[in-house]
Amino acid sequence: MASIARQSPLLRQSCLSAFRAPWATRNVAQVVAFHASARKQILPPLPQTIQGTMNDPAPIPTSHPTEGSYHWTFERLVSAGLVPLCIAPFAAGSMSPVMDAVICSAIVVHSHIGFHASITDYFPTRRVPKTHTFMIWLLRAFTVGTAVGLYEFETNDVGVTEAIRRVWKA
Amino acid sequence: MSALRTTSRLIASSKPLFRPAAFARSYATVDALSQDPTPSEQPRTKTFHVYRWNPDQPTEKPKMQTYSLDLNKTGPMMLDALIRIKNEMDPTLTFRRSCREGICGSCAMNIDGVNTLACLCRIPTDTSKESRIYPLPHTYVVKDLVPDLTYFYKQYKSIKPYLQRETKTEDGLEYRQSPEERKKLDGLYECILCACCSTSCPSYWWNSEEYLGPAILLQSYRWLADSRDEKTAERKAALDNSMSVYRCHTILNCSRTCPKGLNPARAIAEIKKMMASH
Amino acid sequence: MISQKVAQQSLRRLAVQQPYALRWSLMNSASPAAVALGRNIQTRQAATSSNSSDPSKILAQQRLVRPVSPHLTIYRPQITWIGSSIHRITGLMLSGGLYVYASAYLASPLLGWDLGSASAVAAFAALPVLAKVALKATMAMPFTYHCMNGVRHLIWDTGAGLTNAQVIKSGWTVVGLSTISALLLAFL
Repeated sequence: MASIARQSPLLRQSCLSAFRAPWATRNVAQVVAFHASARKQILPPLPQTIQGTMNDPAPIPTSHPTEGSYHWTFERLVSAGLVPLCIAPFAAGSMSPVMDAVICSAIVVHSHIGFHASITDYFPTRRVPKTHTFMIWLLRAFTVGTAVGLYEFETNDVGVTEAIRRVWKA
Repeated sequence: MSALRTTSRLIASSKPLFRPAAFARSYATVDALSQDPTPSEQPRTKTFHVYRWNPDQPTEKPKMQTYSLDLNKTGPMMLDALIRIKNEMDPTLTFRRSCREGICGSCAMNIDGVNTLACLCRIPTDTSKESRIYPLPHTYVVKDLVPDLTYFYKQYKSIKPYLQRETKTEDGLEYRQSPEERKKLDGLYECILCACCSTSCPSYWWNSEEYLGPAILLQSYRWLADSRDEKTAERKAALDNSMSVYRCHTILNCSRTCPKGLNPARAIAEIKKMMASH
Repeated sequence: MISQKVAQQSLRRLAVQQPYALRWSLMNSASPAAVALGRNIQTRQAATSSNSSDPSKILAQQRLVRPVSPHLTIYRPQITWIGSSIHRITGLMLSGGLYVYASAYLASPLLGWDLGSASAVAAFAALPVLAKVALKATMAMPFTYHCMNGVRHLIWDTGAGLTNAQVIKSGWTVVGLSTISALLLAFL
């Protein structure tokens, strides 16, 4: 009994596939979309494909310290530096233009790294290569725009910390 | 196998004649008569919702199927409940299990929203709450509660999980460690690679093809921390890219969920520290 | 064996000529007796027929249609990952706000907008008190949370405070402290 039951999927595959084949191929895309959960799938992964056999190791990305350990250390230094820089305006009340510029540049670098990490996480090259490239260039453009805009704000206006203080007290 | 099971159940059913009561318990089912001197208890019916998907009907959406069990007649663990469902209610329910004591890692699944081993997870005795059982999150489902861990194992292989050493010891005998050096491996070597932590990690959900995930990184650190291993520099170089380690954003779901009480997050933090100082 | 082969060939021919007829006949005429006598297709030794020459291809095709098990929607909300996602969302909000404002400020001469601090102060001052407090609180909360949780992250990066108990405790501490300090800032 058990052996018959176990054979049944096999039979479906081997015999019926002869005249099911055209249906099956036509339905592949539809099937995949259908599998996505009832509501909208969050960051839908690609259909499963495995390169090589079970016994081949997964490929190791090429070593790149500027994207790896150096990047991490730099990011942590900037973050750690931001701790006193965030406390300083509250403690001192007002900041000199130089300190203001230091805060702004640290925040821009920190923001850029944060956005970059988010893009790598949610729009990986493997899944959405075009979106990834587009987002990276968009981010670069915006970072440059922000840096120049903040420079303009620092030179033509009252400075970021002072502006926030004034709005807060308004 | 099935024949064997049938026999044992036959014997169990006629137990008072030639079997001690201890043998009457077949798998996950508790025989009320032999177990409990006061069988007049109220039935404690608990509802289980189990994720189902059958590869023979690939166009059908995955669905949740509901089963109700009397907890008085079920063993204490989630795995007991699953085995009882499979034995007595629905033989098509598919899941992996082997040791039923938390050492093989086969029955890793998502129970009531948390990844754990079904054999180590007690059934919550509150019968008013319904239990939901899913396969490990964000894995490709082979069938029902069985995820495809092929890539997980390929990633494990990619970190070269074995001792790499060129030089021999002076006496040509075993490679010795001091008790302190050996102590560094505690909390690392116990990992059974059940994939609970990796599949609880949102970062691993989004980038499981390139990010190694907590389980593999814990194993990686196990070899980085081993005083006998001589390829530490090569191991570190293999991890030195944006994806392998640095997709870890210290979310810490891994340590929270580990059914063995290990701390993959600490291992990853140690890897990052090692990498920063080279 | 020979009779089986003949049956198999005729079945195949039938399949090529009249697929629907064959399917119908297969679905309906396989009585238990036929199964028992081996006249049913289940006895065909067709597992390795012509269309499955490479067994690894079957697996590859099965993989393509596999569903992905549910994740974010079913995982139990815990301070670990909820706190972390709030950290990222608040970071994106703060940085996004800065990026949008600074870029708009850069473009304002071209677009003819007045985004200087003086007009911002004037616009903010014109709001009712309740709106001011609410707006300040919604701006301060992401800032305080992101800063304090950021410190928590920096502590973790030294390898400290990573046990489950410590993580849960520090997580709720940050939630509490950031809420209090945001409210304080809102009434400043």
